[in-house]
Amino acid sequence: MPPSMEDQFLDGADSDEISRSFTCCVCLDLLYKPIVLACGHISCFWCVHYSMDGAHESHCPICRNPYSHFPTICQMLHFMLLKMYPVAYKRREKQTLEREEETRCFSPRFDAYGGGSHTYKKLKIEADPADPSITVFEFKLCPDSSSNRVKKHFADLMQRQPVSLPQDFVIPISKQTSGGNPQGATLADEENVVLKNNLDQTCEQLSIADVQCTACKQLLFRPVVLNCGHVYCETCFNIPVDERFRCKVCQVLHPSGFPKVCLELDNFLEEQFPEEYALRREAVQLKAVHLHDAPSTWSKNSGIQGFKWSSVPKEEYSTWLRDNGPKIHPCAGCDSCGMYPIVGDRYRCKDCKEKIGFDLCGDCYNTNSKLPGRFNQQHTPEHKFELVNWKLKQEMMRLMVEQLGDGFAAPYFSGISLEQPGDPTAAFVSLDDAEETAENAAAIVLDDDAEETAENDVNGLAASDAAPEL
Amino acid sequence: MSGGIARGRLAEERKAWRKNHPHGFVAKPETGPDGSVNLMVWHCTIPGKAGTDWEGGYFPLTLHFSEDYPSKPPKCKFPQGFFHPNVYPSGTVCLSILNEDSGWRPAITVKQILVGIQDLLDQPNAADPAQTDGYQLFIQEPAEYKRRVRQQAKQYPPLV
Repeated sequence: MPPSMEDQFLDGADSDEISRSFTCCVCLDLLYKPIVLACGHISCFWCVHYSMDGAHESHCPICRNPYSHFPTICQMLHFMLLKMYPVAYKRREKQTLEREEETRCFSPRFDAYGGGSHTYKKLKIEADPADPSITVFEFKLCPDSSSNRVKKHFADLMQRQPVSLPQDFVIPISKQTSGGNPQGATLADEENVVLKNNLDQTCEQLSIADVQCTACKQLLFRPVVLNCGHVYCETCFNIPVDERFRCKVCQVLHPSGFPKVCLELDNFLEEQFPEEYALRREAVQLKAVHLHDAPSTWSKNSGIQGFKWSSVPKEEYSTWLRDNGPKIHPCAGCDSCGMYPIVGDRYRCKDCKEKIGFDLCGDCYNTNSKLPGRFNQQHTPEHKFELVNWKLKQEMMRLMVEQLGDGFAAPYFSGISLEQPGDPTAAFVSLDDAEETAENAAAIVLDDDAEETAENDVNGLAASDAAPEL
Repeated sequence: MSGGIARGRLAEERKAWRKNHPHGFVAKPETGPDGSVNLMVWHCTIPGKAGTDWEGGYFPLTLHFSEDYPSKPPKCKFPQGFFHPNVYPSGTVCLSILNEDSGWRPAITVKQILVGIQDLLDQPNAADPAQTDGYQLFIQEPAEYKRRVRQQAKQYPPLV
């Protein structure tokens, strides 16, 4: 094929430059509705969900850190990226929505910019999902409230640290703004700028109000993101030893160990707001000296305390197929805390109409969680729940049906193979693993041929030899 | 077609590859006679590392991506009967980073896969044999193993 033809093919997607920090490692595109995992790595809502394991604990797509709860979208990052890459972000929104409509399974939607307070509001699903009006972000800045807050923040800082500060408290992203775009630039101009240039010359301005800590309301310093999606400075959390952390905003318990600093965001903030970031660092260090305590000692302590990354013991996942094992509900997640799959009791909403349904784990049901669904379900507190009667065979059946169904809503399942006998992919697994998999698979009578396949491999006859080409 | 992200990701992979890729490597999606592009199959070339017995060989490798990519790794195949302790008789490469249950992470790029396989060529993993021929010579007759590797490198001259 002449190169020009491939050019055409690849140019179907736009080719604007996205900072590497905000490229999703799974889809290699601009992060869309970003989720920050406990290990501090960022990925898109669907990329995280899609790479989760419906029957076992999941692993970070970047570092393989185990986790068991599907985190909530980080709205602060969401609005930050929307502001920085308006064109590319809207393209991502459009693409994602198209896929969501195909599968009838939606990600949460956010309306007006909450002025930095990350208010969680939902848009109603219109009767007609193709209605373009609902796909448009009603993205409005709240310059008054945010700039006031920033001014106050700097006034506070000035009292402590006599440092010269810029006249305008809104810090331009661009280091060469003199010729920057006027605010009233048309969309076409914006597009040109975004397409032609990278982050350094984007016309939108990011202010500290966009990237402030939920607790101290100052510029984030070493940001950590809780499972609920709220962002704090690492040092703004007093760690209750041996206890779980509760988000100060939404009061939701963080399910696993103290999250690691989101380094991509941290580096970005230090680059974008060097002066303010340095001030924050000094302030934190000063505070630490006062307390006769090294900065972030507690985070090291928490490491020593051995907080688990995954709140569900790994063994539980491997024993669930036995009759006396814990009740694991494959492919069913708690819409409140995000536990996926649900371990223990599972309550299903009887009134939600969405295909994906609305479920709560036992803990969240008992604490009367009022959080909105993870997939934009129109769940209301008036809805009634029923306890799901857990039967191993039924769960196995459901797992099979879901796996054979659409691949978008249902994530993949490792360890449980539904492959055709002699499927070439069986040759993937190393010999040891193949045998192990084969044992597991044989135990649950899903894939009797796997063992044979493994043996074939040992004998130097790969399964794929016999299998038809893909 | 499933609504997975495989194709989008592969288009991005190809773009990234065209911008920058390691010297001597080739990685291209399959193209039909009519010029249509099949992103799910890539034809690649891995050069043998300089200074090793593999030097001079340009080894053809095919990557088969599934709709579950990047949750699941691609299947990487050399030609059938390829001589290497960790390559199945069918040509499928056995490597930890390509194993869904142990080393695979969706963040691993095509570039990393190819470079990883290039490393594997000269550094076979004796703990994970996939073919009798290559494995036994590697363990028992190093001189003959070397000869076979060099012979194979000559079989795959550069495509100019």
